[in-house]
Amino acid sequence: MGYKVSFEQANKIFDKLWDKYDIYAPKRFEGRGRYSDTDIVRYDKVNTVEEIVFDEKSDYPAKEVLAPISQTLFYFTEDEYRESKCSTRPILIFMRPCDINAMHHQEKIYLGNGGYTDLYYERMNERVKIVMMECTEGWDTCFCVSMGANKAEDYAVAVRCENGNLLVDIKDSELDAYFAEAPAADFKPDYIEKNEIELQIPEIPNREVLAKLKAHPMWEEYNKRCISCGSCTVACSTCTCFTTTDIIYHENGEAGERKRTTASCQIKGFADMAGGHTFRTTAAERMRYKVLHKFHDYKARFKDYHMCVGCGRCTSRCPEFISITATVNKMSKAIDEIMASENN
Amino acid sequence: MNHDIDIKKTRINCFRQSKVPGEFMLQMRVPGAVIDAKYLKVVMEIAEKWGNGTFHLGTRQTLNAPGIKYENIPAVNAYIKDYIHDVDQEMCGCDMEADETGYPTIGARNVMACIGNSHCIKGNCNSTELARKIEKLVFPSHYHIKVAVAGCPNDCVKANFNDFGIMGIYKMDYNYDRCIGCGACVDACEHHATGVLSLNKDNKVDKDTCCCVGCAECVLACPTSAWTRNPKKLYRVTLGGRTGKQNPRAGKLFLNWVTEDVLLGMFANWQKFSAWALDYKPEYLHGGHLIDRAGYKTFVKHIFEGVEFNPEAKMADDIYWAENEQRANIHVMPLSKHKTAGPQE
Repeated sequence: MGYKVSFEQANKIFDKLWDKYDIYAPKRFEGRGRYSDTDIVRYDKVNTVEEIVFDEKSDYPAKEVLAPISQTLFYFTEDEYRESKCSTRPILIFMRPCDINAMHHQEKIYLGNGGYTDLYYERMNERVKIVMMECTEGWDTCFCVSMGANKAEDYAVAVRCENGNLLVDIKDSELDAYFAEAPAADFKPDYIEKNEIELQIPEIPNREVLAKLKAHPMWEEYNKRCISCGSCTVACSTCTCFTTTDIIYHENGEAGERKRTTASCQIKGFADMAGGHTFRTTAAERMRYKVLHKFHDYKARFKDYHMCVGCGRCTSRCPEFISITATVNKMSKAIDEIMASENN
Repeated sequence: MNHDIDIKKTRINCFRQSKVPGEFMLQMRVPGAVIDAKYLKVVMEIAEKWGNGTFHLGTRQTLNAPGIKYENIPAVNAYIKDYIHDVDQEMCGCDMEADETGYPTIGARNVMACIGNSHCIKGNCNSTELARKIEKLVFPSHYHIKVAVAGCPNDCVKANFNDFGIMGIYKMDYNYDRCIGCGACVDACEHHATGVLSLNKDNKVDKDTCCCVGCAECVLACPTSAWTRNPKKLYRVTLGGRTGKQNPRAGKLFLNWVTEDVLLGMFANWQKFSAWALDYKPEYLHGGHLIDRAGYKTFVKHIFEGVEFNPEAKMADDIYWAENEQRANIHVMPLSKHKTAGPQE
């Protein structure tokens, strides 16, 4: 069913929804940006429609709700352990199509990869109902259309924010009941069909070309430009890597908790192994690893799609102005070069 | 040429005497060091019409036109009326009426500023706007004072060598749950600032808050926004910095974590303090010397009259000056030569 509600009416509905649901949406944190007098927009609980940022892309992705940057997995003493508790309240998350597609990418890793289900992700994932934020314009770092992540039909609710009103399309009958008193409206969400950036993802035909691409001088540029800060992967909608840390409560104690924390393949030490061996020692190698993982390796293994939804947050958040789309284009050029020299 | 020129009068009028007899250099104030580019035409016109065709970037960020003949000073003054009106009267809100006679005084020197956070990625405050607010409080006044505003403690504008050196700072908030223990802030603080951060055994960050300079390098380095600036704008102020032939010195830490209200309250008392220190007889004496004469504690009593401090504020209880003296024992002199402060018998 479609409805049109004013912010005032929507806030009343929010009040009722809060009795049962936790509502998450992109929210503005004033003055909390990287630079002085700039803001950040990231996911947090919201109580009113006014708190939701509709007209800007969030700096950080929706994944933070389901897979928080750090979370406690379990508590332990010398001879027993107890799983951390998690609310069972259902969650409504306001997400753009890119973030919704990213969530499905993450589900594949957390819930299916290696035939193993990640309990901590699953118990969050089960609670989610998607509120799709219509997104028809995008921003200058977006390339969701190229990645096939510009559409998402599996929403419980779709919303468009227009002149102080919300237009909603509700597929979930339980949520439909909350709008019983709202005026009906004919609304179906639109999707963006063309971004400013169109990205051609290069095909790497065989292992020989892949090996040559890995050794190609194109990557050297990133030894000078990339500072290995990890902003790109933290802002990435699809990255799932984490590390675990045991926090021991007392110097002599044997009680503590195991935390898991977001990790980044871009940060030095990510590929360190016991015994001191490390796989990727330079910024260029780490960059190459990330780009190939996103635009080749993942798809080569899972055979369905690339591990990128084109949200462009990595480009937006990079403090060194490294653009992922420019990097992929350089990679295409390098592959063409390699292919041409092979054919000669 | 005219050989009977009141040099002191031209100086107060912001025309500096040249070694070439009868020539002067105009110094136009640019409080906060940012103005509309259209005013470059004004400087060009002056330099080409009345000056020697060259243009000097003043060391205190003034726009200078050298080689102006004494007899042309009235014409130049008439020409800069609009500039003074636009910049000091309108933009800074100084209590004055621009007229054909040029600058009313050279007393309080141009309030300097770096580009600040309107542009700079490291800047913590809008140094330009703050400098303009200070200009309104100290100018036009015959009492000398040198103030500079730096957007951050890196102090590119060298506020440290001004009577009052202001630096934009923040208190930082640490979101434990957003920290991934990457150590970027630890490295940044070590490399750029005071090295107050360290990674602890839980792979989170410990901070020695006492030595934090509030520069926000940790925020710039943080990939997750675990470190953010608490949006309350605060300032650090150094006191008594100066250059000079006698006893140049860097300023000493005077105020830390004070708000703009405290700063502006303090500058609003500057003229009153100066008048008191000089026994109500304005004379050409650098502001820093007035603080020396009064003594730090007396100065503090006057300068903070009626000023309410914010809860985070810290102020030096005392300052032990360390001067880079150009000759030894410069302060040791017969009692009859000692300087005085306050009302005299």
